[in-house]
Amino acid sequence: MRALVVHAHPSTEGYSRALFDTAVDALCSAGHEVDVLSLYDEGFDARMTRAERVAYHSDSPVVSVDVARHVDLVTRAEMLVFVYPTWWFGLPAVLKGWLERVLVPGVGFVFDPDTRRVTPHLRGVRRIVGISTYGMTWRYTKFFNDAGRRTLSRALRLGCTGPARVTWLAMYRIDSSTPRQRKNFLARIDRELSRV
Amino acid sequence: MKALVAYAHPVEGSFCSAVRDRLTDSLVAAGHEVDLMDLYAEEFNTTLSAEEHALHHSGPENKPAIADHARRLSSAEALVFVYPTWWGGQPAILKGWFDRVWVEGVAYTLDEGASRIRPLLRNVRRLVVVTTHGSSKWVNALQGEPGKRVILRGLRSLCHPRARSRWIAMYGVDRSRESDRGRFLDRVGSVMTRL
Repeated sequence: MRALVVHAHPSTEGYSRALFDTAVDALCSAGHEVDVLSLYDEGFDARMTRAERVAYHSDSPVVSVDVARHVDLVTRAEMLVFVYPTWWFGLPAVLKGWLERVLVPGVGFVFDPDTRRVTPHLRGVRRIVGISTYGMTWRYTKFFNDAGRRTLSRALRLGCTGPARVTWLAMYRIDSSTPRQRKNFLARIDRELSRV
Repeated sequence: MKALVAYAHPVEGSFCSAVRDRLTDSLVAAGHEVDLMDLYAEEFNTTLSAEEHALHHSGPENKPAIADHARRLSSAEALVFVYPTWWGGQPAILKGWFDRVWVEGVAYTLDEGASRIRPLLRNVRRLVVVTTHGSSKWVNALQGEPGKRVILRGLRSLCHPRARSRWIAMYGVDRSRESDRGRFLDRVGSVMTRL
């Protein structure tokens, strides 16, 4: 499968980078074609611009070269993998903004101006994988609704034209985790992504 | 009451900007003090940088870039959010405002040896969200309304324990008629008057 791995953590080293590297390595060893996007490394601006918002429902909603390149990667992908820390119950702003600016009408969905209805448009994506670390426990995360997970496993999945399987790999209470737990989680990512 | 109005839409003249105007006018008419924080107009940088992330547990005094917003948040009695719901939740510019400004020493504190955080925004006694959804209520229900609990349960848990909250949403804006939008504006106005 052709996979696009999107990473959203500001540190250039540390645990989040290890999660990202492990995911990419596992997918490559399993023989998948892998594209990577590290939003912080690219200096991706999360804010949808005025020009983009004005063009949103037009025939050409993509107005910048950077976004066009990301759109190409998404359109080619059969698997979307997201690696991010959960902040304030949801996606880091840079990843939320990436969805807003890249998965515009004609990419993530189609908006029919006559009937004013929305239909799915992610034709290739058959698999969505989320890898996230949480400061909270599983119980608190559920209580607060896990907005990041819902955005990717429901809102984004509703954009897929065919059935797309979701795999969610979560590590809770990261701040008080032991080295052994962190190592086990890396091993789990390696295992799960080697067999998708 | 002193109300901090956080507004996040890039286009002046949008329906969202009309909501903002009606809302602030009604607040002022009812005798409230309004501090309008227009994140796009301020060109708020929404991305939490590596430097800020490294200073995560060090308190707001080491983060001059957010000092002004932190001060405004800590002196507000009511918090009002006005934004379009995109992909089920707050636009990135507003989510990034949570990520960068609602930090330790501003929104909460983690006492030495404690396992749970202690809320710091006891000054906030009212939380109001006014949001517009392009898609229908049904589509939003399928998506699970990710943005809703982030504010009503998440951010609210850092405010005054008896803070009252209110959620005012308009669904299907893309298919709405002029009269629907007018009614929504009237509703927003009347809720603000009774804040």
